[in-house]
Amino acid sequence: MFVQPPNLAEALRMRGELGPDAVVVNGGTDVVVLLNRRQLRLKTIIDISRVAELQQIEKQSDGTLIIGAGVTYARLAELPLRAFREAALSVGGPSIRNMGTIGGNIVSASPAADGAVAALSLDAEVELSRAHCEPRWMPLTDFFVSYRKTKLQEDELLTRLRISGGSTSRWYKIGKRRAVNISVICGAVSRREGQYGIALGCVGPMPVAFPSVSQMLAGRDLVPELISEAADAVAREVNPISDHRASADYRRGMSRVVVKRLLTELSSEMAEDL
Amino acid sequence: MSADANKMLIKCKVNGQSVSCEIPVECTLLTFLREYLSLTGTKGACLEGECGSCTVLVNGKQVNSCLMLAGQVQGCEVLTVEGLADSDGRLDVLQERFLDAGAAQCGYCTPGLLMSARAFLKDNPKAGREELLTALEGNICRCTGYASIVEAVEKALAEVRT
Amino acid sequence: MTGDTQQADFLVGRSCRRVDGVEKVTGDIRYGADLFPAQADLHARVVRSEHAHADIVGIDASEALNVKGVCGVYTHADIRGTNLHGLIRRDHRVLCDSRVRYRGDAIALVVGESEEAAERGRDLVHVKYSPLDVIATMDEAMADGAVEIHPGGNVMGDKRIRKGDVEKALAEAHVVVSDTFNTQTVDHAFLDLEAGTGHWDGQTLTLRAAGQWVHEERRLIALALGMPLEQVRVIQPPTGGAFGGREDISIQIYLGLAALQHPGKTVGLRYSREESMRARHKRHALRINFTLAADKEGTLTAARVIVHSDEGAYASTGIAVMRKASSHATGPYKIPNVDVDVYGVHTNNNPTGAMRGFGAAQMAISYEGMMDRLADALEMDRMELRLRNLVRPGDQVTTGQRLNDATAVECLEAVLNRYRDYPQATSETLPPNLRRGCGVSVICFGLGYGDGFPDASRARVHLEPDGTFTVYTGGVEMGQGLLNTMSQIAGHELGQPLERMKIIAADTMLTDESGSSSATRQTYFTGNAVRTAASELNEKIKDVAGEQLEVHPHEITVRAAWAVETNKPENRVSLSDVYDHGLKRGYDMIGRGIFKPRTIPEISDSGQSPRAFITYLFGAHLSQVLVDIETGEIRVERHIAAHDVGKAVNPQSVEGQICGGVAQGIGMALMEEVVYDKGRITNPSFTDYIIPTIKDVPTIEPIIVERDDPGGPFGAHGVGEPPLIGAVPAVLSAIYDATGVPVDRLPVTPERMWRLLNEAGAGSIRE
Repeated sequence: MFVQPPNLAEALRMRGELGPDAVVVNGGTDVVVLLNRRQLRLKTIIDISRVAELQQIEKQSDGTLIIGAGVTYARLAELPLRAFREAALSVGGPSIRNMGTIGGNIVSASPAADGAVAALSLDAEVELSRAHCEPRWMPLTDFFVSYRKTKLQEDELLTRLRISGGSTSRWYKIGKRRAVNISVICGAVSRREGQYGIALGCVGPMPVAFPSVSQMLAGRDLVPELISEAADAVAREVNPISDHRASADYRRGMSRVVVKRLLTELSSEMAEDL
Repeated sequence: MSADANKMLIKCKVNGQSVSCEIPVECTLLTFLREYLSLTGTKGACLEGECGSCTVLVNGKQVNSCLMLAGQVQGCEVLTVEGLADSDGRLDVLQERFLDAGAAQCGYCTPGLLMSARAFLKDNPKAGREELLTALEGNICRCTGYASIVEAVEKALAEVRT
Repeated sequence: MTGDTQQADFLVGRSCRRVDGVEKVTGDIRYGADLFPAQADLHARVVRSEHAHADIVGIDASEALNVKGVCGVYTHADIRGTNLHGLIRRDHRVLCDSRVRYRGDAIALVVGESEEAAERGRDLVHVKYSPLDVIATMDEAMADGAVEIHPGGNVMGDKRIRKGDVEKALAEAHVVVSDTFNTQTVDHAFLDLEAGTGHWDGQTLTLRAAGQWVHEERRLIALALGMPLEQVRVIQPPTGGAFGGREDISIQIYLGLAALQHPGKTVGLRYSREESMRARHKRHALRINFTLAADKEGTLTAARVIVHSDEGAYASTGIAVMRKASSHATGPYKIPNVDVDVYGVHTNNNPTGAMRGFGAAQMAISYEGMMDRLADALEMDRMELRLRNLVRPGDQVTTGQRLNDATAVECLEAVLNRYRDYPQATSETLPPNLRRGCGVSVICFGLGYGDGFPDASRARVHLEPDGTFTVYTGGVEMGQGLLNTMSQIAGHELGQPLERMKIIAADTMLTDESGSSSATRQTYFTGNAVRTAASELNEKIKDVAGEQLEVHPHEITVRAAWAVETNKPENRVSLSDVYDHGLKRGYDMIGRGIFKPRTIPEISDSGQSPRAFITYLFGAHLSQVLVDIETGEIRVERHIAAHDVGKAVNPQSVEGQICGGVAQGIGMALMEEVVYDKGRITNPSFTDYIIPTIKDVPTIEPIIVERDDPGGPFGAHGVGEPPLIGAVPAVLSAIYDATGVPVDRLPVTPERMWRLLNEAGAGSIRE
């Protein structure tokens, strides 16, 4: 069965009624790869790409951004959030960016989910919705549970992201080539009202934030010594694996370099990017 | 709705023609085009969105047809390489410049590149070299080293501008 | 008007549009995968080994045969012929009988009414294995007591060069430098996956599948399947790239087996990307131990080169690759004393065989790397060291062959001039983490198989009843532009515009054998055969037209649709009339050409031969890179490549070959690598096997150097492989120049660069 709910209420109803075997598809850039590899068969498909509510981007009066889960990377790349913009532009090629969505990226909970890493650094919250219920919001940090596991229930959809306004942010990714590049490691940092957010991808089983390091930086000026201290702290905290893309050593070393670079950029940046 | 739960009826426009066809629900747009409509100009080479050989335009936007389910183009307009030349067979400016520049060597990436370039020309007629490269970055070519492709698209871009 | 009254064009040297161009830009062209399912009645799938090394204890097909839609499961027992294939040694079973030697070895063939049925059947063929030790590396293969992958030991062969007295020269040298290079396993990664059809009508077994040498494929298929040669017909469909990756037989032989089992039906077979990567041979990974010596002035005195080559599970073209490696071990440099030993070592990795560069590519990495190291040891300029030692006309290469023409210096000067005369803005001050550097390479390449192999090409050119021409050649077009090269050579010889030339290539029933599309040999070999054929036909036309116009044949010129009296062009006769008249007079109006030059085998003890190769090609590259010394990221900013192609028959097509070879070279230098885990490829997809995108390749600057080759058609020789061979060492040289740290292992991924820099220590990194 292939259903294409036209609105959110219908989508949530179908998600609830069609049971756990139903597969939700939006951009398809993850699910259909598995289908093509014959690692997945699709019997019941809920295509949520026509749900208008999921594609909205709303800017509230206090500057808060509410981003629909169905917003594509191509549209994320137009947002006035530099980390998001650059993360989105670093994903795949233009076709992938026209298809893949921020919601799909977050739900995949892949350690290399570039969009999720950018969102984490910006202290994003996610909205999880279920038919006939009030949606629940939670910080993205709480949403990720372990390798490719999240708090999303079988009858829920991730529907929106909320990001506070006023952030300045930066993004960096190391891969093996210069386009259509899967992260060997990626990172994002943000600053908002003297608070800092730091997140890295590919240094653990899921995208990770570093609240203790953020706490250490809170309210302080990013002088070179402090930046080094923060970068060292991050490098101590990460727990990367070795795989065919890179070794744990390299990822650990790069976590220091990436954090140092990003914080240095942030410190020297006069202009806000929101 | 189809009688068989694993099948569905798809109606859309492909290269300007209305089509209606019963397909399995898990059929990708690539398979739909190649095997149900016999439009074999669109190629599949990696089936993971890494090479761009399968690029087509859906409602004017470039997508990897290998990663889109055919059901998702219900009611949409799809343009493939077969729809680039006009009905008299007159080639489009990109096709002509590809021929001039020798941008098709083995030719397997060519349909995908033409479609990416087509989307680019339509959306960014004022763009420069860097935007052009970004527009084509999702299309792997193993033969040309890309030089002739860049030349072809830049020349087409210059023509479109005038 | 198809050139009816048009002035004859001179086609050689012109960048004509591709004759197959229009159908490539419209999507109308039909590659192997485009032939079905519309044309396939049945579909085949191959059951492949799940073990890298094991004995087969049993094959149980009963469950597969019960799958709805499965029409047959076939094993070695169903094969009537030798069940063996292999381009040099027939050591590879079509379907394994008792042992598998790599993960990807074929065991059974399932035929079904649909692709889905065949795949379900494939997954339900149960093979019982008794696992053997997996030989994952060359060191394991050569260790005492290692299990033998083939009877006779794991060293499958060796090749050597002995010239002068290396021992003495090393002892007397002013400077001696040594290093060990490790090159990686590379996949061809052509986009057009293996796909085709087979059909047996009781008379002819017709196979449509892309290879690189249809006549040899026919021989191998006939032998393996037990068919008379004349009953097998191999037709090359349009082909989306090959790069050596279609030289070993692939789907053709399974299609043949399936079709024979299902007479009257058209059987289709196609590989997924994963199967293509798991099944196919790869580029040899080489470990090269190189010692190079020079006197005080920087004149090279000795080289000692020891090479171990990972041959994988089967011989493939390994012996020939070893030979190309040994004969190209010291490249375009004059060295009086040379010892080379190349050992081919079997492992349970994928078989390794042909890929663009064929052993010569790996050796260029080492000899050019050593020239840079030597220059540093001598505190000498890298260009000066090269210019002092490059072969010049009249000099000998390492095999002892004396070259009348040697354009290494011209090529090097061409790239240096280009770099100097067209500077690009690089004056910006770099941030502290970035280093910029420039490197060069100079390479040579012996064209063709050489070594006494009876290498030959044949061609025919027909005058058609309507006065147009058709070229017939067995040569394979796979994207490189052979159809244009041959059409342009024949058309030029016959005074024709390209529109009046048709070409039929690579069909064993219609065309004569022209050898493989490999070894950079088609322009030279088949080009000569085509030129001879066209020339013979031209003479026939003149004879007939002379009679018709009542003038001496020498006074006739063929021009487009006419044969004219040269000095009185209004006295003319149409070629269709010539055709009719010729037939009446007993002419067949066909020209035939064969080109079969002699090369002389290398003496096995010394590797010396006065004519190991028919001719040598030269090239030089200059690469400029930016290295991030904190992350190890590398960007190629600029790449210039000059190649002596003799004469560019179609300059645009030559430039396409140069730029494409450079891009593949950048891929090999920086990112491409097949990764094994105990014989299992861990990255068999384009997500994980990384190929350069448009952002990874700068706008390559090709330079065509033309120095007529007296043996080539219109002075042309060829260009296919050298651009890749030159590109890799130039990039590596630039990295060395940028960082001060030499590179000895490929590919130089960010992590590998970072490790090299860490190992060298901060003090060694260039400021």
